[in-house]
Amino acid sequence: MYRPIFLRYLLIGGNKVTAFFKTLIKNKVMLFMVLPGALWFFFFSYMPLVGTIVAFKQYRFTREGFWASIVKSEWVGWDNFKFLFSTNDAYLITRNTLFYNLAFIIIGLVLSVAMAILLSELVGKKLAKVYQTGMFLPYFLSWVIVGYFAFSFLSMDRGMLNQVLGWFGVDAIQWYSEPKYWPYILIFVSLWKSIGYNSVVYLASIMGIDKSLYEAAMIDGASKWQQIKGITIPMLSPIIIIMTLLAVGRIFYADFGLFYQVPRDSGTLYAVTNVIDTYVYRGLKTTGEIGMSTAAGLYQSVVGFALVMISNFVVRKIDKDSALF
Amino acid sequence: MSKKRKSFSLLLVSLMALALVVSACGGNGNSATNNSSAGGNGKGEAPVNLIWYTIGTPQKDVDRVMEEVSKYTQEKINATITMKMVDWGDYQQKMQVNVASGEPMDILFTSAGGFDYVQNARKGAFMELDDLLEQYGKELKDTIDPAFLEGSKVDGHNYGVPANKELPQQEVWRFNKGLVDKYNLDITNVRSLDSIEPLLKTIKENEPTITTFAMDKNYVPYVPYDYVITNLPLAVKLDTTDYKIVNILETPEMKEALSTMRKYYQAGYVAPEAATTGSTSDLMTSGQWFMDRAQTQPSADNLWSASYGYPVVSTQASDAIITNTSVQGSIMAISANSEYPEKAMEFLNLLNTDPVLRNMVDSGIEGVHYKKLDDTHYENLAESKNYDMPSYSLGNNMLLYLNPSDADDKWEQFKQFNAEGVNSPILSFNFDSTKVATQMAAVQNVKEQFWSSLMTGTVDPESYLPKAIEKFKEAGLDQVMAEAQTQLDAWRAENNK
Amino acid sequence: MAEVIKKQRDFHQVSRGWNFILHLIAGIFSFMCVFPFLFVVIISLTDEKTLATDGYRLIPAKWSLEAYRFVFETGDTLLRSYGVTILVTVVGTILSLIMISLYSYAISRKSFPYRRFFSIFAIVTMLFNGGMIPTYMVVSQLLGLKDTLWALILPLAMNAFYIMILRTFYSTSVPEPIIESARIDGAGDFYIFLRIVLPLSLPGLATIGLFSTLGYWNDWFNALLYIDKPSLVPLQSMLMRIESSIAFIQQNSQNSSLSLTALQSIPQDTSRMAMVVLATLPIIFAYPFFQRYFVQGLTVGAVKE
Repeated sequence: MYRPIFLRYLLIGGNKVTAFFKTLIKNKVMLFMVLPGALWFFFFSYMPLVGTIVAFKQYRFTREGFWASIVKSEWVGWDNFKFLFSTNDAYLITRNTLFYNLAFIIIGLVLSVAMAILLSELVGKKLAKVYQTGMFLPYFLSWVIVGYFAFSFLSMDRGMLNQVLGWFGVDAIQWYSEPKYWPYILIFVSLWKSIGYNSVVYLASIMGIDKSLYEAAMIDGASKWQQIKGITIPMLSPIIIIMTLLAVGRIFYADFGLFYQVPRDSGTLYAVTNVIDTYVYRGLKTTGEIGMSTAAGLYQSVVGFALVMISNFVVRKIDKDSALF
Repeated sequence: MSKKRKSFSLLLVSLMALALVVSACGGNGNSATNNSSAGGNGKGEAPVNLIWYTIGTPQKDVDRVMEEVSKYTQEKINATITMKMVDWGDYQQKMQVNVASGEPMDILFTSAGGFDYVQNARKGAFMELDDLLEQYGKELKDTIDPAFLEGSKVDGHNYGVPANKELPQQEVWRFNKGLVDKYNLDITNVRSLDSIEPLLKTIKENEPTITTFAMDKNYVPYVPYDYVITNLPLAVKLDTTDYKIVNILETPEMKEALSTMRKYYQAGYVAPEAATTGSTSDLMTSGQWFMDRAQTQPSADNLWSASYGYPVVSTQASDAIITNTSVQGSIMAISANSEYPEKAMEFLNLLNTDPVLRNMVDSGIEGVHYKKLDDTHYENLAESKNYDMPSYSLGNNMLLYLNPSDADDKWEQFKQFNAEGVNSPILSFNFDSTKVATQMAAVQNVKEQFWSSLMTGTVDPESYLPKAIEKFKEAGLDQVMAEAQTQLDAWRAENNK
Repeated sequence: MAEVIKKQRDFHQVSRGWNFILHLIAGIFSFMCVFPFLFVVIISLTDEKTLATDGYRLIPAKWSLEAYRFVFETGDTLLRSYGVTILVTVVGTILSLIMISLYSYAISRKSFPYRRFFSIFAIVTMLFNGGMIPTYMVVSQLLGLKDTLWALILPLAMNAFYIMILRTFYSTSVPEPIIESARIDGAGDFYIFLRIVLPLSLPGLATIGLFSTLGYWNDWFNALLYIDKPSLVPLQSMLMRIESSIAFIQQNSQNSSLSLTALQSIPQDTSRMAMVVLATLPIIFAYPFFQRYFVQGLTVGAVKE
């Protein structure tokens, strides 16, 4: 008996397909709810992901638009990555990105926890509130504004820092062309912006610790320091681990604003201020080689992914509950 | 489990299909608006709208003026114009991205320095114009000095319409005349970088708050070399006989210039933040500067004084040399993705031959932005500050009306200036970088790092120059140099130089 | 009894000397955080000429309001940028709240068969991204958003991290039985979300909303990439543009009484700082009120499923 092919297909595959559509219709309200978000992810996350293919192409523009140009551009394999590794650029930007982020994470953690404990021990809660509000301010400012702030201190002829140095008879320093100071400046500025916020977050969880624990410790004659070591820090550790993990997950992504706005895009400082994100941006700006810049971005994405997986794996080994996934 | 997975993938597929439909719609809507033309007054065929990207600080009245321009062009060639201005400092970068990403455009400004003409022509950013010029640009070809058309050929083809203007490039020292007069300074004997020192010293001592030697991060001290590739340190000496390409940083002239710059910087003649300064326009508007270096043309002083609102004088700092950079100093190209290349060429033809259109584009609306004094003279009105355009980038300069203070024979002077210019030894040699693209990108990165701070004297050349040279080598400058030398030798043999 | 407690408190507290030292440390750090802003305010109130000779001084030899006078004369430029920023912030925050709350609600519901798929669909974007250039291409070319306000709004509208936070919040603060009983009463999914889930999760939404507001208010990067039109420049981006040329605000002002010669007397450096001050003021006034929600945000997100 003769049947058109599509009917035959429907008979065979039909059950699955109808079942699929049935579930779809049954969940139409929920699907409708995820639709805007899913579309957003599709356009703003997944489409660019497909676009990274230009990292392997010598991108040349054609009339038909971006996607057609990608398809038609010549496949050059790993050539675009060569320029990244032909100089020590790749090493430099990777080192900078990792070094700064590590410094931010470690120093930031120690100082914020210390500041939180300090705040919790203050007598006179009114003043403590005032301090907190003050510390919180930098968190709300954009990097553009922080850049202006930094300039008011570091400007060579007008900045406050050089004036202060002048009082001590020290010669004015050209802050924006002396790379050796910038690791400290960048770490300082980053901590300045984030410690207030982080310490208040830690403070909130210190406040949540059961007071009877301290009372019991005091009855046992534990000193203040012993209480901090024995109670506060262990009780804080879950949130410390989570906050640190979140930061480690982003360790290969630098804060573009910090590294772009604060050093005022000064070329002499690139050796210590160039991170992967700024490198990609400048690459596009100066060479206009879309393929090469995308290659640098892809490198970041891949290594960043690997780092997240590794750190998650390590955490899983130590404490399964604290792992991200 | 597998059933579940299957339904996942089905879901993903349908999601993607939906997204594609949506994006297709979006895309259509988008291109429809781009093509839709203004007006539509039912005069036969709908007029074509041309999108024109040009360099300069965006002006408030651009849209208003373009409306007037469109009325005129619609009558003449049935096209309307949309002009998009991109600021000086952003032009290179924004256009790189706009062109690479296929932003809709028909006409765009390009030059040796701005949005590199030769490299981008080779990359396929511009349409090849040989036939279009023949077909729609006859008058234009007759008007423009053939040296420009010849000099802007890339591999034997024209990719743009050069502006008819000064042909050679001559550097001058510009002075804020108010200060020159106040301190009775003699600027007639000034020429070399060293010779300006006493002037700088006087001003620095007497006017400590004034920026003595104004410059932004693009400043490079003048040395008698011609650069083989714009913005890269490869150059050939102007009086060369052997056509040897050298690293400009290794030449004695540049070494000396850099230590002089360092001396000036340390003496406080140069603004401390010069190496990160994007533009000196604030200094120019406020008049808080004493001198700087600029490229000149006949009666340039008049032009500057009129534009700043206070007198500016200048004196020569170099010979007038015709180089690729000067010949390709201002070109209007038709974008490779233009929908209407024929109309675009018709427009360029009109712009370069029709004084009414050319002056409208340059000075705005008559009676609003400027006032005509007679057939060839005009005067800016107060509103002109809302439409202050750079003349050099907008086509044939010799059609422009004259300022009352201009000499009547200004354009004759131009012709003479052009005739007297001396050709650079490597005029019309265009480097093809495709073979060393990787090295070029790396070298450009190094340049970003060292160039501005060395050239402005911000860092000590004693220690930084060797470092920079070393880094350039690491990035592959030698390979680029060798490739350039090979090409130059071949070009030399071909042209019997 | 009361006395005993008091004594214990005293014992719990650090000693007087230590307390003083701790106050000193916290006070100094807190002051350091606020000081740069005060310094910039002082600079903006300095006389331009004094600034040129003396540099940035804590106590300038001569004060002046010139900078503010100039900024207000060209006030429409500043106002328009404020308008753009406020519009983008409001529309963006609302839009992102709607999208995020809907999405995370759906994937928090155990009865939704595709919850795993859509969770992963979101999480993957946290691990992998296309990077700056492909994103630029999609936004400018495929979606055609260049030089539109949408280019400032959409790229920041979603964030997998917020979705995860809110999903956790839903599953901890909205008890499943309530939803189930509503379901039995015949309520639809959307009704349940709107009438039961949303009111219960207001604190979580408020926190996400504030983070998102802050993100939009402080964004300059999208403007750097996508905005050329001077009339669409948001506040932060304008601060960047006047860094190289203060003339930017004049060029875009409708106030035509400013002549070229008047321009020559613009107090350039102090005006820049005045703009910084004016752009920061709303935040300075608003943030102490919202402070605690931001803390809440992290504590909310920290409670893992």
